[in-house]
Amino acid sequence: MQGRCAAGLLVCLLGLVSPAVFSGESGPCVVDDAERRVCLQAPARRIVSLSPGATELLFAAGAGEWIEGTVRYSDYPAAAKRIPRVGTHSRFDIEKLLALSPDLVVAWISGNPAEQVERLQALGMTVYYSEPRRFEDVSSTLERLGLLAGTTDVARTAIAEFNAAIDELEARYRDADPVPIFYQIWDDPLMTVNDSHLISQAIELCGGRNVFGAADRLVPRLDRESVLAAAPEAIVAGGMGEDDTGWLEAWERFPGFTAVRRGNLFFVPPSYIQRPTPRVAEGSRILCEHLETARGRR
Amino acid sequence: MPRLFPPLLLLAGIAVAAMLLAVAVGSVSIPVAGLWAVVQGDGDQLHRTVVLELRVPRVLAAFATGGLLAVAGALMQVLLRNPLADPYVLGLSGGAAVGALSAMLLGLGAVMVPGSAFAGALVSTVLVFGIAHGTGSWTPTRLLLTGVVVAAGWGAVVTFMLVIGPTERIPGMLYWLMGDLAYARSPWPAMFVLALACLLIMPLGRSLNVLARGPLQAATLGVAVRPLEWSVYVAASVLTAAAVTTAGAIGFVGLIVPHMLRLLIGSDQRLILPASALAGGTLLVLADTLARTLIAPEQLPVGVITALLGVPTFLYLLYRSR
Repeated sequence: MQGRCAAGLLVCLLGLVSPAVFSGESGPCVVDDAERRVCLQAPARRIVSLSPGATELLFAAGAGEWIEGTVRYSDYPAAAKRIPRVGTHSRFDIEKLLALSPDLVVAWISGNPAEQVERLQALGMTVYYSEPRRFEDVSSTLERLGLLAGTTDVARTAIAEFNAAIDELEARYRDADPVPIFYQIWDDPLMTVNDSHLISQAIELCGGRNVFGAADRLVPRLDRESVLAAAPEAIVAGGMGEDDTGWLEAWERFPGFTAVRRGNLFFVPPSYIQRPTPRVAEGSRILCEHLETARGRR
Repeated sequence: MPRLFPPLLLLAGIAVAAMLLAVAVGSVSIPVAGLWAVVQGDGDQLHRTVVLELRVPRVLAAFATGGLLAVAGALMQVLLRNPLADPYVLGLSGGAAVGALSAMLLGLGAVMVPGSAFAGALVSTVLVFGIAHGTGSWTPTRLLLTGVVVAAGWGAVVTFMLVIGPTERIPGMLYWLMGDLAYARSPWPAMFVLALACLLIMPLGRSLNVLARGPLQAATLGVAVRPLEWSVYVAASVLTAAAVTTAGAIGFVGLIVPHMLRLLIGSDQRLILPASALAGGTLLVLADTLARTLIAPEQLPVGVITALLGVPTFLYLLYRSR
């Protein structure tokens, strides 16, 4: 036991000095979002993705063609819809997953059941735990997935495009007048997000101010009264689908409310802004335009 | 005594058949020849892993859990002399649920969930025991009321935890509350408790038969009622705790299996208790097989299936009985 600990320490120290030692031995090595070292014998060629977001990130990093299995709601890009399913992100069929003999499983820390992912590791599968929460994490996840799949060139191009899109928005709205906004992530119960959420980062990027940014919980549940009291100038909502604006209609009952009086009820397709993937750049652009419209209605 | 054996032999035969079926069926289709090769110690690597590391442990865990719940239910029904009693009626599953969900909320990882559930079950058992014991005299009604109210209290705590829990953890919590064999890490603790229970409780069959007729009659016939009742309470609690620790709060098995058996083979506890272990195990093995294959690759919580299978069967037996 002591020998193993000592060897582990040595590995850690070597890692600090020179990460190349690890990729040098056989295949690529990265550190995942659970701070674990994930190493492969060779670039991943049989990948299973356990969340729709991870599927998108894999495609963006150039590894899409090697995804052998994924979970329900993996709907982007179009090619993802043809990948065989192994269940839902909250319960998957381990037998089916085993039959695909994946060399890399991309798991979602907060969304997948811990006991099932641990079972996959016990069965000898290599698991990369993913939990991107900020724009920077989208880039670093692309970099790491690209490294694991041996598609670094594609991944770096995607990162450059993503960063350029974000930087452009940053430059354009850096000095814009702040717009207090309410972002509705769910209806009934009414839910929003605080400043630790990716959506709030997009709001800041556009020169907006999330009226519930200081809330304690990542996804606070609210009543309508507290939203009226917070007096946002604009309400932005997703919906049950990519073009369902039903949630916004419920606000029209309050015609005296600033956001309603000025017509500032905006829709952003939920998968563009609620999934931490490169598409969030496009979602942010849509959001920024809506906020600019709200500024024009003052 | 010999007349007890034919029904038990039949049930044991059905149980073995159900387990063989469950090992043979799954999303990876394995031909009979492949299964035979695995049994003989060779065969395809994938087949070996699927059968030996996934299916067999899960089937054994399902059998043990179902057996534990059904025996616990039979004991509770005798103890409380109430046909609506099930292993969870005294709040044990609520305590276990609060333990398990706390571990999930705190993000302690899958290893901590069973231990935490067991601790919750233990706290609930001691709490109900202590309060029902109280200062006055002890009656099954008092125990039942204490248990039901404590269960309601746990229920409120569980609801509160579901409301404050992060949205992405809620599916996992619901699966635990509905019961799911994906939580079973190893079948052996549950198997051990079930075997131990069979050895220790079965000899009490005759006394339980007398107790079921009422405490006065039992006392007249020389049964030490109070110690017997407390032993039954402790035994049922340990069995239930072992079951929920293995696979979450699987409902319905503990309520209907003993009733179904009484309708079919009479109410001799010497027969009902071992028969409950066999029939409860069989029901859960079959239900779990359906849960993991019915809409595969998507997985259903097994509690849904136990109810879907159990309700019509039970209603039919009840309708037919006089």
